Amino acid sequence: MLIRQISVFLENKKGKFAEIARLLGNANINMKAFTVSETEDFGIARIIVERAQIDRAFNLIKANSYAVTMTQVVYLECGDYPGAMANVLERLAAADISVEYMYAFADSRSEFSRVIIRPDKTELANQIVQEI
Amino acid sequence: MSRDEMRELQGEKLKKIVAHAYRNSPFYKKRFDEHGVHPDDIRTIDDIVKMPFTEKQDLRDNYPFGMICVPMNEILRLHASSGTTGKPIVVGYTAKDLDNWSEAVARCLTAFGLGRDDMIQISYGYGLFTGGLGAHDGVQKIGGTVIPTSSGNTRKQIQLMEDFGSTAVACTPSYALYMAEEIRKQGINIKSLKLKVGIFGAEPWTNAMRRELEEKLNIKAYDIYGLTEISGPGVGGECKCQNGTHLWEDLYYPEIIDPVTLRTVETGQEGELVFTTLDKWGMPMIRYRTRDLTYLDYDKCECGRTAVRMGKILGRSDDMMIIRGVNVFPSQVESILLEFPEYEPYFLIEVGRINNTDTFDIQVEVKPEFYTDQVNELVRLRQRLISRIQSVIGIQPNIKIVQPNTIERSTGKAKRAIDYRKFN
Repeated sequence: MLIRQISVFLENKKGKFAEIARLLGNANINMKAFTVSETEDFGIARIIVERAQIDRAFNLIKANSYAVTMTQVVYLECGDYPGAMANVLERLAAADISVEYMYAFADSRSEFSRVIIRPDKTELANQIVQEI
Repeated sequence: MSRDEMRELQGEKLKKIVAHAYRNSPFYKKRFDEHGVHPDDIRTIDDIVKMPFTEKQDLRDNYPFGMICVPMNEILRLHASSGTTGKPIVVGYTAKDLDNWSEAVARCLTAFGLGRDDMIQISYGYGLFTGGLGAHDGVQKIGGTVIPTSSGNTRKQIQLMEDFGSTAVACTPSYALYMAEEIRKQGINIKSLKLKVGIFGAEPWTNAMRRELEEKLNIKAYDIYGLTEISGPGVGGECKCQNGTHLWEDLYYPEIIDPVTLRTVETGQEGELVFTTLDKWGMPMIRYRTRDLTYLDYDKCECGRTAVRMGKILGRSDDMMIIRGVNVFPSQVESILLEFPEYEPYFLIEVGRINNTDTFDIQVEVKPEFYTDQVNELVRLRQRLISRIQSVIGIQPNIKIVQPNTIERSTGKAKRAIDYRKFN
């Protein structure tokens, strides 16, 4: 399914991600998943929170003078066994979909791994993963 | 008037004003003598390059009346600059000087399409500042109606604008924006006002600001250029073409020099603007260095005027830094940023020195709507700015993208560069 992800621009300074994490923590917003991409000069943190809290999280970060964007990404629960991810990615590649970035988080209490995919063709990618 | 006729007139006037300054001012006599030049050396306008420069510091050193070249009882009025960077500077005008000044302002107003049927609200401050009274005299010269509101009390300004039906307003462009905002807040339909022209000056402004002002106030917005040392507002003004500021060069002779070598640059090249007042007797200025960076265009304007046009003020020569041997002006960075819709026009240059090499960092902000979740897009955006600055300025900067609203916003006097190098 499609879910919304928050991306925050991080200056290349110590403790920048800590500031965001603290901001959300103090507002009692839990990060379900995140990833940070960095270059020499800056980073971008991508964060998933509960659907009910996402607007509050977005507004809170924005109000604190961070550059923040909201993006639709594909969320899927992928079987937690060898080759499961390969199946998904091959289907996407076959449909000529590029993956800009992705990240996953396993959950030991569940039979699935949770995967976030940022494809170039969001709607199409979502359709394909639904069919799997 | 043809270019040759103009140059002849300028030469005649220069001879007289240089002789007057030499005879009546101990300051100029000493300065000319030290420089080994005598008024007899001036035959044509081209000889102006033989004369020494005058600088703002000279006016400070001779505070208050040391540069006045007539008996004080011939001085009809004094003005002074605010003096944020030291002692104020004082200027004095004879009757003829005031007349020439109002003539210059009148030419600007005429070029803006204003005349005797107009009601012109002067929202420049009245007082020692030249803006208020300078504009005031110019409006009277063209036979228009003066509404001398002076600056401040925005609510009343707007009320009078409505009640009197002001057709033009003279103020700083930033105050005009503030007024526009107030008009909007009060729910006044801008089309119900009679306002048609904005006479904006006393601070640098961009074409983006012009578009904003024209749209929000439903007017044509024109630049009026001037500086206290030369007489005040009206040294030059735009025409309907809005393609350069015409300088009234029979009164104020402009030159462009290289601020480093002090030599006159080739026509059309950028450099520091220098003025000689050709018909100002109370306090003549000979080759006064304005520190404003611009260029001159001698082509005839589409409006029909032959008076030379000055380009936009590109910055101040006293802001110049030498980084890795290259002259860098903060204004260059500003104009490059304005080419990019993705960047805010705010920046902070930081210059340092590591291992005997100059570092050249520029903090910039990306506009909120151009942030993305993708690293590559920001990397490319950053690289495009680096390449553009490298090709214009000649050295490669390190661009630091910072969070929104972290760079100081105040206009005009904002600190735009910090030099951490120690040279001693």
